[in-house]
Amino acid sequence: MTPENVVALECVTKRFAGLVAVSDLSLAVPRGSIYGLLGPNGAGKTTTIRMILSIIVPDEGTVTLFGTPGAGRDLSGRIGYMPEERGLYRKMQVGDLLVFLAETKGMTRAVARSEARRWLEQLGLGAWERQKLDALSKGMQQKVQFISTVLHKPDLVILDEAFAGLDPVNAQVMKDTVVSLARGGTTILFSTHIMEHAEKLCDAICIIARGRKVVDGRLADVRRGHGGRHVIVAVEQGVGSAEMVLRDRSLVAKADAYGQYAELEVATDADPQRILEALLAAGARVTRFEIAEPTLHKIFIDKVGAEAASVPAGPGGDHA
Amino acid sequence: MRKIWVVIRREFVERVRTRWFIISTVLGPLLMVAFVAVPLIMARRGAQERVIAVVDATTTGFGQRLALALDRAPPLRATSLSTPVSQIESVADSLAVLVGAKVVDGFVIVSDEAVDDGKVEYRGSNVSSPRDMQIMSALVEEAVFTERLGRAGVDAALVRQAKIPLQLRTLKVAGARTTTASGEGSFILAYVVWLLLYMGILLYGVNVMGSVVEEKTSRIVEVLISSLRPFELLAGKILGVGGVGLFQFAIWGVCGAVLVDRRELLLRLLGESVPGGSMPAFPEVPLVTVVVFLLYFLLGYFLYAAMFAAVGAMTSSEAEARQAANFVVMLLVLPSVLMIGILNDPDGTMAITLSIVPFTSPIAMPVRWAAAEVPAVETLSSIAALAATLLAVTWVASRIYRVGILAYGKRPSLGDLMRWIRTA
Repeated sequence: MTPENVVALECVTKRFAGLVAVSDLSLAVPRGSIYGLLGPNGAGKTTTIRMILSIIVPDEGTVTLFGTPGAGRDLSGRIGYMPEERGLYRKMQVGDLLVFLAETKGMTRAVARSEARRWLEQLGLGAWERQKLDALSKGMQQKVQFISTVLHKPDLVILDEAFAGLDPVNAQVMKDTVVSLARGGTTILFSTHIMEHAEKLCDAICIIARGRKVVDGRLADVRRGHGGRHVIVAVEQGVGSAEMVLRDRSLVAKADAYGQYAELEVATDADPQRILEALLAAGARVTRFEIAEPTLHKIFIDKVGAEAASVPAGPGGDHA
Repeated sequence: MRKIWVVIRREFVERVRTRWFIISTVLGPLLMVAFVAVPLIMARRGAQERVIAVVDATTTGFGQRLALALDRAPPLRATSLSTPVSQIESVADSLAVLVGAKVVDGFVIVSDEAVDDGKVEYRGSNVSSPRDMQIMSALVEEAVFTERLGRAGVDAALVRQAKIPLQLRTLKVAGARTTTASGEGSFILAYVVWLLLYMGILLYGVNVMGSVVEEKTSRIVEVLISSLRPFELLAGKILGVGGVGLFQFAIWGVCGAVLVDRRELLLRLLGESVPGGSMPAFPEVPLVTVVVFLLYFLLGYFLYAAMFAAVGAMTSSEAEARQAANFVVMLLVLPSVLMIGILNDPDGTMAITLSIVPFTSPIAMPVRWAAAEVPAVETLSSIAALAATLLAVTWVASRIYRVGILAYGKRPSLGDLMRWIRTA
């Protein structure tokens, strides 16, 4: 185990009442990275995260944090966790709540108090420190929850369904803060079922479906490893007008048409230039032609199939 | 340990700050005073004037003497109407009209039979009042008694001498010495002890349950459990809420002691004239009784709070929890229902059993302590049984709690619970 990995899972399995939620999962989160745990609803993301935090204990396999043998709870001072189901004490004052949660992480009262003030000011909630949480809008409560996750300066921040339920403004705040924390050396592990979020933020990813790992590694490696050459094409009247070319199996192995553009996998022996020529010859007015790496969404669909992307692993698989 | 302390402080501070705490701290003693004082005041003030007519069909003038005796008893005004036996019913009918018009409250019909075989009739609007009827029958009985003795030729002065009522002074013997505590005082003390324990354990136990359910429904429990062991959270919660209970008792205790100390001044301020012996002497509360009370409150509260917490962890909403808690509440109500039995015979089989069985002993034993002398063997075995049960129940409850706080959806079956308890 190199201490370069902040989180390392080895052959972890967890069953609930006979149902396998996570099966033989191994993954490694490199220090300082933004790591995405991706998968459809019910894939076992939340169960995996709970095992990392030692909220639940794996049936088989080991979880190692920061390269030390301690369990997640003993290292909780170094970890910030925002669960998928958000919630705080609604009757407590914002400032007191933040101090209490920081104290459960081992921070001293005085330091927690001043850090809470600093964060509240920074996110525009300075005037609300002595208000009860009940008095805050939903968006403000989300900010408070986020502050409580990072207040104690954790080395590892774990966000379950990080962007779920956030309004666009808060999603932006969250993204900016996550990036700046990562720049400061904090390791971020977040789970999402929305591939586009991961694509924008992640250095490394792990895709799981039905409790099993599909693929993991650095994002660039995952893309390269997916093989095939990909081309993104957009045509003035919509890709429908170039259908003949897209159906030509000697040029295009596979096409995903999205209406405004299409993502093509170039046939094994074909030259992407030949596709462009064929499109022009067919009279299509090409507005975009880009030789690209496959999108995460495409990798995901290719690896697990469209059906697995929507069907949950089983009742309670994600939340039990 | 430091983290338990953090939880304890949050539970304590957040509770003491609530309006509920302030209101219950102020209202608690007021209610308790009301419980004791209202019946006393009612008894004194409620003696409303009753106008009674005596239909005198006697030939000896007994009716007149009876009316005089009734009239001399403070709440009653009585006059006699000499009536021939044949006219009784018609006089009664017209008196009934007066009762209907609320001019008189009722009337007694006496004839010569009254003295011979004790047959007296009373008709009135207040016959459903046990207190009024008790006074009536006592006065009539006394008059009849005097009349019979007089008829038998007993001297009137001798009769008066014989009628001086008995005054039984009751004093509690504790630790082989007679205390100044009166029997009535011990009863009130036992009553107050019962009320405090029952209300304290129930209210604060339910409070713990509410707190568990709140953390579960708000989902904050998942964040907490990522940095605290479930046992740390549970222990901190129970200790914190219990601290609030002790704090409240301390406030009441100090206020109560001051009030008792200054009670005569207080009564004078309220304009009550207190003739020397009419107030029951306040019971002497030995330190050991206070210690027993606090010990049983703490052990009992821990026992019930652990059970309430487990119930809270099993359910997903406040309403569901209240329903599921009925079983626990029943255990607590049991000794309260049998309270009178315990007080009537503090050394009887039932009192001894209830004060040793762990689930009822937290209330039954301190009540016995307040009411009578309890052998040390019984106290010690009761404490030992309670402590052992507390350990076992806490162990089971914390295991249910640990799994339950993260389980949502349908309520677990008994089989589910067994599995929760068994899982490592």
